[in-house]
Formats: sequence, C-alpha cells, structure tokens
Amino acid sequence: MRDAVQVLVIDDEPAIRALLRGALEPAGYAVIEAGNAAAALAVAHAQSPQVVLLDLGLPDRDGLDLIAPLRKAGSAVLVVSARDATAQKVAALDNGADDYVTKPFDTDEVLARVRAALRHHAGPDLLAAMLRFDDIEIDLAGRVVRKAGVEVHLAPKEFALLAELATNAGKVVTHTQLLRTVWGPGHETDVEYLRVAARGIRRKLEGDGPSRIRNEPGVGYRLAVIREV
Amino acid sequence: MPTLSNPAAAHDPFHDAEGSRTGWLVSLLLIAGVTVAGGALAAHGNDADISMLYLIPVIYAGTRHGLGTGLATGLVAALAYDFFFVPPFYSFVVADPSHVVSMVILIGTAVVCSQLGGQVRRQARLAQANADRNGALAGFARMLMGINQREDLWALLAREIARLLDVRTVVLAPDPPGEGGRRLVVKAAEPKLSQLDLIDGVAARWAFDTARPTGPGSDAMAVSEWHFIPVLGGNMAHAVFGVGRGDARTPLSPEQEPLLASLLDQAGLALARIAAEADMLALGKVQERDRLRAALLSSIGHDLRTPLTTVLGMLRTIRPENTRQQHQLDTARGEAERLDRFVANLIDMVRIETGGLERVLEPVDLNEAVTAAIDDLRRVLGAHPIVVEVARDLPLVMADPVLLHHCLINLVDNAAKHGRGDGTVTVRARAAGEGLALAVLDEGPGIRAGEEQRVFGMFTRLEGSDRRGGTGLGLAIVKGFAQAMGMEVAAANRAEGKGAVFTLLIPQQNLRMVDGGG
Repeated sequence: MRDAVQVLVIDDEPAIRALLRGALEPAGYAVIEAGNAAAALAVAHAQSPQVVLLDLGLPDRDGLDLIAPLRKAGSAVLVVSARDATAQKVAALDNGADDYVTKPFDTDEVLARVRAALRHHAGPDLLAAMLRFDDIEIDLAGRVVRKAGVEVHLAPKEFALLAELATNAGKVVTHTQLLRTVWGPGHETDVEYLRVAARGIRRKLEGDGPSRIRNEPGVGYRLAVIREV
Repeated sequence: MPTLSNPAAAHDPFHDAEGSRTGWLVSLLLIAGVTVAGGALAAHGNDADISMLYLIPVIYAGTRHGLGTGLATGLVAALAYDFFFVPPFYSFVVADPSHVVSMVILIGTAVVCSQLGGQVRRQARLAQANADRNGALAGFARMLMGINQREDLWALLAREIARLLDVRTVVLAPDPPGEGGRRLVVKAAEPKLSQLDLIDGVAARWAFDTARPTGPGSDAMAVSEWHFIPVLGGNMAHAVFGVGRGDARTPLSPEQEPLLASLLDQAGLALARIAAEADMLALGKVQERDRLRAALLSSIGHDLRTPLTTVLGMLRTIRPENTRQQHQLDTARGEAERLDRFVANLIDMVRIETGGLERVLEPVDLNEAVTAAIDDLRRVLGAHPIVVEVARDLPLVMADPVLLHHCLINLVDNAAKHGRGDGTVTVRARAAGEGLALAVLDEGPGIRAGEEQRVFGMFTRLEGSDRRGGTGLGLAIVKGFAQAMGMEVAAANRAEGKGAVFTLLIPQQNLRMVDGGG
C-alpha cells in the first residue's frame, strides 16, 4: 500500500470520516483522518496527501482559510459542503479549491470527483493537445472540434469555453473563472455571455440530446466525463 | 410619594379675608383707638383734622376685609366722629353741614378702598390658584412617570383627583381592554364604589362611546349624579372618568374644570406612553423569537443533517445480496432521502418566514435550470417518465439560480409525488402574454375545485390526493421563492386529460432577449 494514493479526510464528525473512509478504501485509496484544522495542517505537511476532502465547518478555524496552505502543500482540495451553501462553494473555489462535494453526498460522486481532481492535478502530461469525449475530438492546438470525425464550426468564444471546460473535464469551473479566462478580466459578471455561448456549443455539437455541459446552479459549469444517469 | 398642596383650600371661607369676624373686631378696636386719640387732640384745641384720623380704620377695613366690613366700619366711624367730635357733642345731631361732608367722605373712602382691595385680593387669589394648579399638574405628571400599568393609572387618577379637587371620583374602563369591550367596569373609585346606578352607568357609557362629557354641566345626560369625562388616548376613549359630590350640587366649580381637563390630558399622554412601552416589549419578544428561530435553523442545518448524511452515505455503500435486500435498501434510501428533502424544505421555509432570503438575480437558461433540477431528482422520480418541453432558444430569465433550482425541484418532486405511480411528469415552457409560463404537469387525481390557492399554503395536504405523504411545505416554498424573484405561481387542473398543472409565471421584466448566436 506504499504507493496507494493518500487522501486526507478533514471533518470534525467521526461518522462522516468513517463514511468517507468506507467509500475510499475499497477504491484503493489510503485514508488519513483529521478532526480539526491544526491536526489537518500537521498531517498535510508531514505526509503531503495527493487529495484532501475538506469540511468547511471546523471547530478551530474556518475551513476556507485552510485551502491555500493545503494547495501550497501540493494537495488537490475537494470541499465538502451543505447543499444550500452556494456562496460558500463559490468562495472555496475562488480560494483555490479544485471542486466540491455536496452533503448528503453519493459515494460514487465522491470517487468521481476525486478521480477528476487527481487527473487534473497530475500535471500537463495529461493535458494533451487532443481531448476526446466519446465521439467528440477537441484539438486545442489546431483550435478545431470534430464530432464523429466531421469538423464542427464553433464561434471563437464558444471554442474557448469548450476548451476551458474540457481541460478541466469532470471538475466544476466557476462562472467567474470561465468569464475571466474566455472573455478576459472585467467580464467576470457577464453571466449572460456564458449562457449564450453554452447554448451555441450545445446546439452545434449536441443537438437536442442530453448535454455534457452541466449547469451547477449559481456556481458554474462542469463538463461531465461519466454519464451520471 | 410626594404630597400636593390643596388648591381647594384657597376657597375655604374660613381662610377668606372677606366678611371675617376678626377684621370686624380689629376695625372696631381701631375706631375706639382713633376716638381716644381724637379726644386727646381735641383737648389741645386741635379739632380740624380729627375726621382724617377715622380714615385709618376705614381704609384698613376697606382694603383688607371687603365691602361689607368696610362700609360698616365707615358708617360706625362716621357716627363716632359725629357723636364725639361734631357739635353738639355727645349727640348724633349735626349742626354744621361741613361735618356732613366729612362723614360722607369716610363712607365713600370705605367703598372705594374695599373695591380696590377686592381687586388686588382677587388677582392675588388668581395667581395663587394658578400656582397651585401648576404645582398640582407638575406633581401629578411626576407621579404618572412612575406608572407602567393601566390599572395603576386608574388607581392614581381616582385617588389624586379626589384629593386635589375635593370630590368623589370613579374610573370606568372596558373589560376586557380595547375598543371591542362592551362592558364598562369600575376600575378605581374614591371613596370605594363597586357599581354605578343604572342612569349613571348609561351616562358613563354615553361618554365613552361619543368621547364627549356627560352629566351635570354638560349637554347630555344632565340627570346623572356624576359628571363623566372620557379619557382620550390617540383618537379613542380608553376610559371614562367620573366626578361627583354627595349632595346634589354641580361637582366642579368653573375654575376647577380646566384643572381637571389638564389632569385628564396628562393621563391620556401616559396611556399613549404605556401603550408604546407595551409595543416595545412585544417587539423585543419578536426579536427574541427570531433569534431562537435562527438558532433552531442552524441546529437543524448541522445537528440533523450530519447524521442524515452518514445514514444516506452508508445506505449507498451497502451492496444487496438478493432482490429482497435490494427492495429493503431502496425503501430505506427513499425514506432517508425524503427526510433529507424535508429538512432542506424546513430550512428554506424558515428563511422565507424570517425574511432572511437573500437573492441575487442573474440571467438563467430555463432549459439548463430544468435539466439541473431533474438531475438532482433522478432517484426520487423513479419510474416516472419525464418529458421536458423547454426550447433551448427561449429568452434568458433573470432569476436567483439557487432559489429557482429549489422551486423547480419542489414542483417536479410534487408532480412525482401526486402523479400516478408511473405517470409522466411534463415540464413545459410557453409564452404567456408578454412573459413566460413554466408549467409542471402530472397525471394524478388533480386539484379539487376551490383548492387552487390553498395548495400553496403551509402544511396543506389535499384530501384524497396525497397518499404518499409529503412535507406540506414544498409548494409554499415555491410560492415564497417565486415571489422573492418577482414571479407568481398558479395551480389548476389540466385542460386535457386528468392531472394537475402547477405554473411558474415569469413576467416580461424578468426576461432577457438574446440573439441566439455565440
């Protein structure tokens, strides 16, 4: 088990830690637990876990404050948060968290998020110049999208949006991040652009079928890797 | 408790200078003294100015003791002068007419002096009465400050006004308090009194209802023994104050009436203050209740949801070994998820009820929003087929994405719950006037006539249509959230086929037209 991926679970509720351990260990992960912020930081520095599952409601410190130090220690950070805490989720993502899991969570969903975070965290070797999803091919260098081998013409902003989502495949990307990357600083609140571009991509690439571009209400978009039906 | 000076004392005849026995005695002594002194002067042969000496008792009596004593003194002085000093001596016969002039002057002086003195005395008495009245009012105001209860106010009114005006008093107020109280009850009286006579009771009632005085000295119910004055606070009568005497005399002297009016005005102000203080107290209680609610909310949010998360998570990790276990597991999961949705709805409802709803409107794509809601409900929907008829080129809708998400979840959840076991749930967006209508249709029994508004109430369960139970909060949350976003809700039965249709009405001002390009 020396080479197993280490996951640090930070939560003050022992039952939640046990639940996550029960989901992660059968999937081959090595689980470390911490019940408060101080212990979590100590473990993170000593063992450098690849992934951290972080509950924001810790007894000794605001979980939001932990995101930056954990990221600095080299860990991917997944925030575990309550369903209604949209503002908290966005704040965590803007603070550098990789993704979030909503309570009450589906353990399959947790595993999918962990995999996506690891994939993204592994570095540029996985960010190939060519991305493939089923029958869709995205050539980042050539700025071309093909569906079943046939080139689909996307507007420049649509392509940039799709590329941003595809390079973060499986991960949520906030509205702010998308608008800043695709439209540039100063457009962070122009959600309307985003809605229209997402429509354009769906219409041209997906027709009336179910969409891979998932809307996370109030937070952002996620390009679904695994069909979750 | 401070004691007040008694303005009634100023009118006590015993203390009144006019007609005083002592004044009369002093005047006679003065006349006697002057006569003796005049005798001494006459012995020295100086009898010309003796009449002037008699001015001393006359002016004294006139100025100090009023017209009666003054005139009598003047007369006695004139006679004494005549008897002792006008020839022929020791007789009332007047020989020289010039002495008659002296006697007339003495009497005239008495008249003028008593007039002048009376005026001065009247002014002094008026000033004293004013001072007494102001003192009484100030003292009364001080006492009122310490009063926090209506009952205490009534007792103070009865006691102090009885003492200040030397009258009998009674305070009547409706029981129970408020405008609706039809029965006036004796709240306080001085001396003690348990009930009024029939006529007096009618007079009191009349004063209360018309907010105008009744009884002797007023234009209504003059036969009543008591004079009733309404105690006004704001524009309505809160109580009736009665003054009376044991005898049949008019209870109040004319100069007492303004004092009583001022005292009752002050009582009215105190009433308003007591009411304001009660309001403040109630407000404090509301704030306390809101604090409790917030505490409850966070307690529900954390203490209830954490174990639920564990239960749900654990249930999802269990791998059943046969179909029986699969069925048991599905049931357990379904119920746990229902509990979770109930807790979520409870939190949403408290947010609506406490006004703690923060909303941020941003352009939302209805198709995306509906898809996200259905994604979240895929387990609940189970066997229900879902049909989404929401075009992808609709105008964007200005909405709070999270509130809208909760609206849609509750509408679709409601349709799945009330629709027949495997009935189709349809989500359909259509133009409605200048705006949009997003409708969720089920194939259940529908809504009974007249229940269309009631379904959006809190904890409403429609009879016969809710076999699978529910929180009774879902639709109330839809309404609350929709209204927070400037939208409306409606419920009806389907025009074609059986089932209900719940509609979210999105007005034109919430729409953002887009060109559809990219």
